[in-house]
Amino acid sequence: MPNEILVRKNRGLKKIQPDIPRITVGLATCGAAIGATAVYDRLKERIRERNLEVILVPTGCIGYCREEPIVAIAHPKKPLVLLHRVTPDDVDDILDAVSLGTVPFEKALCRIEGWNHLMGCNLNYGRGFEDIPLYDDIPFFGHQKKVILRDAGLINPEDIDEFLAVGGYSAAWQALSSMNSDAVLEEVEKSGLRGRGGAGFPAGLKWRITKEKVNEKKYLICNADEGDPGAYMNRNEMESDPHMLIEGMILGAYAMDISEGLIYIRAEYPLAIRRLKHAIKEAKECGILGKNIFGTDFFFDIQIATGAGAFVCGESTALVASIEGRTGRPTPRPPRLTDSGLWGRPTDLNNVETWCNVPVIIKNGSDWYKSIGAPKNAGTKVFSLVGDVERVGLVEVPLGTTLNTIVFDIGNGSSDGKDVKAVQTGGPSGGCIPRRLFDTTVDFESLAKIGSIMGSGGIVVMDEDTNMVDIARYFISFATGESCGKCIPCREGLKHTLILLNKILGGKATPEDLDTLKSLSETIVETSLCGLGNSAPNPVLTTLAYFREEYDALVKS
Amino acid sequence: MTPEIVSVTEELLKKTPHPVTVIIDGRTCRANEGEIILEVAIRERIEIPHLCYEASLSPYGACRLCMVEFMRRGRMEMATSCTLRAEEGLEVITDSPKILSHRRMILELYLAEAPRSEVIKELAKKYGVTKTRFFKKIDKEDPLGNKCILCGLCVRVCNEIIGASVMSFVNRGPYTVVSTPFLEENTACLGCMACAAVCPTHAIEIGNLGAERTMVSWGKTQVKLRKCPQCGRYFAPESLSDEVYAKIDPPLTEDIRDICPECRSSNIAHAEISAASGRR
Repeated sequence: MPNEILVRKNRGLKKIQPDIPRITVGLATCGAAIGATAVYDRLKERIRERNLEVILVPTGCIGYCREEPIVAIAHPKKPLVLLHRVTPDDVDDILDAVSLGTVPFEKALCRIEGWNHLMGCNLNYGRGFEDIPLYDDIPFFGHQKKVILRDAGLINPEDIDEFLAVGGYSAAWQALSSMNSDAVLEEVEKSGLRGRGGAGFPAGLKWRITKEKVNEKKYLICNADEGDPGAYMNRNEMESDPHMLIEGMILGAYAMDISEGLIYIRAEYPLAIRRLKHAIKEAKECGILGKNIFGTDFFFDIQIATGAGAFVCGESTALVASIEGRTGRPTPRPPRLTDSGLWGRPTDLNNVETWCNVPVIIKNGSDWYKSIGAPKNAGTKVFSLVGDVERVGLVEVPLGTTLNTIVFDIGNGSSDGKDVKAVQTGGPSGGCIPRRLFDTTVDFESLAKIGSIMGSGGIVVMDEDTNMVDIARYFISFATGESCGKCIPCREGLKHTLILLNKILGGKATPEDLDTLKSLSETIVETSLCGLGNSAPNPVLTTLAYFREEYDALVKS
Repeated sequence: MTPEIVSVTEELLKKTPHPVTVIIDGRTCRANEGEIILEVAIRERIEIPHLCYEASLSPYGACRLCMVEFMRRGRMEMATSCTLRAEEGLEVITDSPKILSHRRMILELYLAEAPRSEVIKELAKKYGVTKTRFFKKIDKEDPLGNKCILCGLCVRVCNEIIGASVMSFVNRGPYTVVSTPFLEENTACLGCMACAAVCPTHAIEIGNLGAERTMVSWGKTQVKLRKCPQCGRYFAPESLSDEVYAKIDPPLTEDIRDICPECRSSNIAHAEISAASGRR
């Protein structure tokens, strides 16, 4: 690596494992929402007042939402200790302990003795504090496999030095210095990486199609328009580790010979936007983005385009329309984006998490990557586990993990000892899966087989008190409000689906209404113009299939 | 060959018509490769209902009535025939039970969305749909008379061909309507009535009263009409004729410029007759 970057890398290692205690506060949007900012501010104020030799930095989020705000303490040569549910009132106790070279045990969640950041960096923190459980012994963490979230909550997302320290940009350096573009593309193809936006299209194949198009200008785009209710995987990936996304995009640009990239991100993610902009600026200053990357003649730049709050703009053609300044409405495909995308040029569009998978693939090789996950479903997937589940949070598991593992082993079932009834995967486009099918593995094919989809990774757990008709109504109401209104099945069809569901819930429906509901849903699926309409009735169709008795109970005989 | 030459050659090849054979409802039809299947069907007099298609505008695919089934890689798929392109051996079925059932459901949705449209009622009847199970949307104040089906033809013709972009879609989802900005009068309107000419459900209301043409549906925009100095009748919007005159090269001569088409032809006829009969 260029010397200037090595200097930063070493400086970063010193920052992560300094000679004095380091306190970090998880300051992603989720942490901030539950009061982490107040904890951070109080820590800062008290450290100054008490004139302590302590380093305080913000980090991203380690994903255990239920236990937020999470504060971590790293004493030199001691394990990293995570404290949970910290309030500003705990700050003095924390600092008292830290100044005595220890930690407040009653607030401790777990300890981390070492951490493999997977990018050629295996950090060793140290031994000690053996009364505190190990990270792997915490069921929420122990069943997970962190590949995409390997840095989340452990490094300062606003400091490129720390990212470099944990092996960041080493895959980009490896590619640019010792691999040609075809070799990078082949490695991604061999890894079997599939699009994480929902459809699961082979990423390498999409790259190859784009690469082989003849055109003087091509674009690559990162789809960061995450909009499913209850889904926030991409937000955390960007807020906790923005450079990981940038590195993935650099590798894609290199593999496809593209010099301009865009991140299309929803405006509702202001912190992610701010951190990405900051990361882009830092990367440019280090010569990792822009002209002559790493001193080579490779050029690649990234711009940020923000959405205006429309769910449908996650659909590829609507997304392009939105970037170009037109109304975000889909157009019929073909032509696909790889033929005629942004400004009519061949364009490669991948989801945030797809890009985030690329650096580890290049660094550790496709064979290593394929060893994680299931056949034809390589790698891990991040899910947001929310709803009536005890341990709410972001979980990352290998593809092919069963719903049982996710909901019970990691999530520990419902929150107040009630029975879990179903989960909804894939957001408003997904389906409701009953408890008896929880041995289903989470992969693209298995979920499709039972009428749901992987989607971008939302998992909403529902307990026995949930009325499934009402759940269907909620999702249809969301989809109706987000329909762009271009084609009639989606525009009018969803509206009447909603009216019918309201009628059923009001106890005024007849058995004929149920038939109408089903056949209308089928028409919407089969005849809508884009993916929004094609999948929006899934919550109705799956609840009709698996929870028909709840509909029947509401219908007048 | 350099990539540039390859790309130019590909472009040229694309422009040269390649005859292919497609099979629609079992009938063998000749078509050009890449030709829109709906066009082929219209030429062959095979009926496919459609509301948002217009040959002079770019394909839109929104009314979903022209959906057909076709075979791809051994599997039946569905697509709108206004966006489906001809290729050798393509087999298309326009009236399978599945297509007919979806078509009927969509027609029911149209009956609820545009309950006052006679065109929709007629079309629905043709496919055996005489009533709808869905709530009818009736708005007594609707400037489009509860006849608009949001096919976007008026929006597209005004934007793509006339270049005035007078109206557009307002709101989204089920709240979408077509209107002028802020639902107000729009002085960009030339009064050409192309919107009304392409509207499949005759939803656009226009009134000609004396010196004014009122685009009732477009925020009651008033367009001044030009008065023929010879016969005194109002005949065309001033702004529209100015726009058109500016495009004619060489320009119209002063003596016929402001006269209405009727007077113009009668003047010319008179002149011809005079010349033929030797009178001056």
